[in-house]
Amino acid sequence: MATATDLKGLADRAVKEISSAADEAALEAVRVRYLSRKDGLITAATKEIATLPAAEKPGYGKAVNEAKQRVESALEERGRALREGAIAKSLSETADLTLPPRRVRVGHMHPIARTIREITRILGSMGFESVEGPEVEYDYYSFEALNIPRDHPARDKFNSFWIANPLGDPTDRRVGLRPHTSPMQIRVMEKRKPPVRVVVPGRCYRFEATDATHESIFFQYEGLAIDEQISMADLKGVLYSFARQLFGGERKVRFRPDYFPFTEPSAEIAFDCFVCDGSGTTNKGRCATCGGSGWIEAAGCGMVHPEALRRVDYDPSKYQGFAFGGGVERLAMLLTGTPDIRLFHENDMRYLESV
Amino acid sequence: MPSLRVPYSWLREYVQAPATVDEIAARLHMAGMEVDRVERVGGAWGDKVRVARIQKLEKHPNADKLQLATVEFGAAQPKTVVTGATNIAAGDVVPYGELGAEYVDGHTGERVVMKPKNMRGITSEGMILSAKELGLGEDHDGIMQLAKSLTVGVLLQDAIGDAVIVMEIAPNRPDALSILGIAREVAALYNVKLTEPRAAELPGKLDPSLLTIRIEDDRACPRFAAAYLEGIRIEPSPDWMQRRLVAAGMRPITNIVDITNYVMLEIGQPLHAYDATMLRGRVLVARKAKRGERLRTLDSKDRALRPEDLVIADGERALGLAGVMGGEDSEIRPNTTTVALEAASFEPLGIRRSSDAHGLQGSSGSAAARRFGLDLSPALVSLALARAVSLMGEHAGGRLIGSTDVYPHPRDRAHVRLRGSDVPRVLGASIASAESADALRRLGFDVQVADDTIDTYAPAFRTDIGIAEDIVEEVARIVGYDRIPTRLPFGPLPAHERHPLDVFRERVRDVLVGFGLQDTISYAAIDPAWLTKLTADGSPLAPEPLRITNPTTVSQSVMRPTLRASLLDTASRNLRHREGVGFFEISPVYLPRKAELPEERWTVGILLAGQAEPVHEGETWLTSPRSWDLHDLRGITIGLRDAVGAGPVKGALQRGGPGLHPGRSLRIESDGRVVAVGGQLDPRVAAMWELPEHATFVAEFELAHLLSETPAHPSAVMPSRYPAAIREIAIVVDEARPYGEVEQAITEAAKGVAESVALRDLYRGPQVGAGKKSFAVRVVLRSATGTLSEEDVEKALKRIQGRLERGLGASLRS
Repeated sequence: MATATDLKGLADRAVKEISSAADEAALEAVRVRYLSRKDGLITAATKEIATLPAAEKPGYGKAVNEAKQRVESALEERGRALREGAIAKSLSETADLTLPPRRVRVGHMHPIARTIREITRILGSMGFESVEGPEVEYDYYSFEALNIPRDHPARDKFNSFWIANPLGDPTDRRVGLRPHTSPMQIRVMEKRKPPVRVVVPGRCYRFEATDATHESIFFQYEGLAIDEQISMADLKGVLYSFARQLFGGERKVRFRPDYFPFTEPSAEIAFDCFVCDGSGTTNKGRCATCGGSGWIEAAGCGMVHPEALRRVDYDPSKYQGFAFGGGVERLAMLLTGTPDIRLFHENDMRYLESV
Repeated sequence: MPSLRVPYSWLREYVQAPATVDEIAARLHMAGMEVDRVERVGGAWGDKVRVARIQKLEKHPNADKLQLATVEFGAAQPKTVVTGATNIAAGDVVPYGELGAEYVDGHTGERVVMKPKNMRGITSEGMILSAKELGLGEDHDGIMQLAKSLTVGVLLQDAIGDAVIVMEIAPNRPDALSILGIAREVAALYNVKLTEPRAAELPGKLDPSLLTIRIEDDRACPRFAAAYLEGIRIEPSPDWMQRRLVAAGMRPITNIVDITNYVMLEIGQPLHAYDATMLRGRVLVARKAKRGERLRTLDSKDRALRPEDLVIADGERALGLAGVMGGEDSEIRPNTTTVALEAASFEPLGIRRSSDAHGLQGSSGSAAARRFGLDLSPALVSLALARAVSLMGEHAGGRLIGSTDVYPHPRDRAHVRLRGSDVPRVLGASIASAESADALRRLGFDVQVADDTIDTYAPAFRTDIGIAEDIVEEVARIVGYDRIPTRLPFGPLPAHERHPLDVFRERVRDVLVGFGLQDTISYAAIDPAWLTKLTADGSPLAPEPLRITNPTTVSQSVMRPTLRASLLDTASRNLRHREGVGFFEISPVYLPRKAELPEERWTVGILLAGQAEPVHEGETWLTSPRSWDLHDLRGITIGLRDAVGAGPVKGALQRGGPGLHPGRSLRIESDGRVVAVGGQLDPRVAAMWELPEHATFVAEFELAHLLSETPAHPSAVMPSRYPAAIREIAIVVDEARPYGEVEQAITEAAKGVAESVALRDLYRGPQVGAGKKSFAVRVVLRSATGTLSEEDVEKALKRIQGRLERGLGASLRS
């Protein structure tokens, strides 16, 4: 059994070792040697208290406690000093912050998806609900219900892809790939009573040669608003507000008459060209993006034709409204400075990561 | 849209607006008459090509076929130049190009810059020029003769330069598909006078022994008129007419043909001229083709006619496909002296169908067919005929013998009555009835305004007017769309529906982008050959695709029934220029259905291939290179489920997905079909697409199925406030035992207290022996209701041990 003197010697030794511990690991080793719950030297002395006669217990216990307290406070003091030293050392160091970091993987939303989200968000804030419809569509919805009967000259503008009929469905319901999102005007009005206010984004298809500004597979957005007193002034307001929110105030907007069989009166909305800033020329001559006009036609629009309203059993003497439709790619090109529409479907990561 | 070239000098013959050509073009454009561009004729001449007069002509001393022309062109000294032309004489006024002038080489057709040229010993420092050299047509036979009235020395550009307004005319406005039609628009827009072209008086009488007109089908041919002219001399048409035809985009031929084309461009009404001596039976009939009838058309094609085709015939045979193309038999010849001139009106649908059936639609069709395919007013028939007769008298010696006009049911002018308030109702602009009426009158409408009523009769040539909205648009075009104010719709907000799948799709997109994957969109129509490259043996992976009957290219000829091929193609193309890719696409696939439209099933496809790390290629100083592996793909799919809050998988999980590595893939079946697949791409398929055989991973799943597994609202968890007991266990099992069973056994054995089980290490080797493996697992035990005692923990561990040993034949190592 150790004596009180032994205990003092033990504590002296511990304190000495503590003061010479060079780092926190060495300090921890000292702590374990003396204070470990299992086999620390001072712990062992503590355990002996129980074996002593009652009379010796207080004196010995006091000595053990003193030793333990001395060691513990030395540990704490030395520990604090070591940590402060380490912090001071750390603070004196500098890192080369030009070294390449450990990068995280970054994904980008496709510019078309992002533009569609922007379109539906802006129009959503004006009360337009976003709805979607079939890309493979009946001739009826793509054309006839929109006041474009078969052999109508306006169909030349909407050269369509047609779908073979492998399942032998009735041939009077010709099926093709929708050349615009306008069929959803009819589908929505068939299902709902006015007031109606919807925006329809989606894929469309046209049989045409591709170049820097034309694709045979592309995306459109369609807006439709029907109520008792919706006029062309509302149409103009919605589209101007849309353009301002999408592009900011500096983009110029032009509104001029156009022709579509399913709207009357009809109009076209255009934005000034982002490549030539509306001048029509670049340092290479005529601006290829706007064809030299200085304007990029962004959407066709107009007041829904009374024939189309009648077809869905809306009373044209009571209800009127507007529709507009435009290319998502056009807007995405404007927003991202993408010079060639084909980049959107090429999926070259170098391009997609840049926009 | 049909295009129209409007030479400005021609337009000015009918209307003179106080504005420049560019201003007029812009105004037309803003009034709905689309202007594509304004071309300058002679823009390339610059300041080097001038009007000159030939002072004298001498023989070249060393060459028989060359002459020396001394020209005055405004410079202090006249210049003597060499010319090979023979059509010139002293006193002629001609175009002269100085050194440095740009011109078209008469032989090569290329643009060149004029340089001094030695011709048989004499250096020529300038040229007198032909029409072709000036870029004004094909005529290179002689020097272009200019009017003697021109001032010598002025720039040719100022003297005869012109501008051409190139327009696209809407298909509902065939009346405006003409110079006069555009002139009417200009007159209305600027409120200036319109000068109608000169036209002959038609007697309306014709001796039936010379020519009789008959309509057999007055629906297909509502009006048929003709004029009979004698004394015709076939020769080239006058220069000014040729120049206008060229500027408007047509090729001059001879005077009679040129005049029919000129009047078509001028008024919009096509005409047809026959050599009257070739008409058998002295008759022209508009009738349907007879069974088995054939016709050799002007393009030298022998055509079998359909019984629906309308033809113009004489007493014996079809002479032409009415309104579409004439026949060879009756065309004007160099010795023609007697002409029967036809002006007729045809039903447009029939014309379009005939054009289509005979492969003459669009640009391969005739200019006439393109016009007749639109709703051209029958009123133009008499106007055009009278105009052509007048021109044939002036320029072809034509003597009008008589004329006839069969028009059994004259078409009424469009009559529209509307309320004055309809204009502000539709436009939202305050435009009074008087202003509307004024705009309409400028456009040639007859208008009566009384109280709130505007009563209108459209001009006869306007076939596009039918309803009040048409009238409103006319008013708006003339007053300008700028008059329409901007405002936002008011009134009750329509009810909005929820579209959970659309919302969910965007949520999934955000999550995957957040995981660092690139969002892609590829073509929805693909090459059918791709579908045979999705499995090792070429067997189909998806249902038979929908076929496009008229694809532009075979590479986009079927609607994709799976995203797989697009994913592989995108990966393959990108791996040509980078080490690794990780991307996804969310798009529909198209699946045929009986008796209804195909299903467009929204699908998510994820592809990982090649190198996963480091993210920035080549930067291995911190991160060692590592390929994508199966665990990455599983981590992403499980991470997506976590992120969207999906619950347990619905459906049966099975090993092996189509086109995937049989041992390293899974599929989920539900409702009798595969709703999700994922795993390593079959290395044989990878090889076909030039993808890394052992490092290409694909997952595809139906968006709607994932949505069905996802509760609408998450169920919140109350975190336990009590401490955890953490224990490490090493479990040795047979090699064939999947880890999932071990984890499941632990969780079930310690139900209620097993908070998590983590796999710390997987060991195979001498310490556990052959055919065995060891899982080092950390188990976190925690109760929601109180602190676990040492005893509780021991009990739980005992249960775990028992379950593992008895149930899985495992042994526990310490």
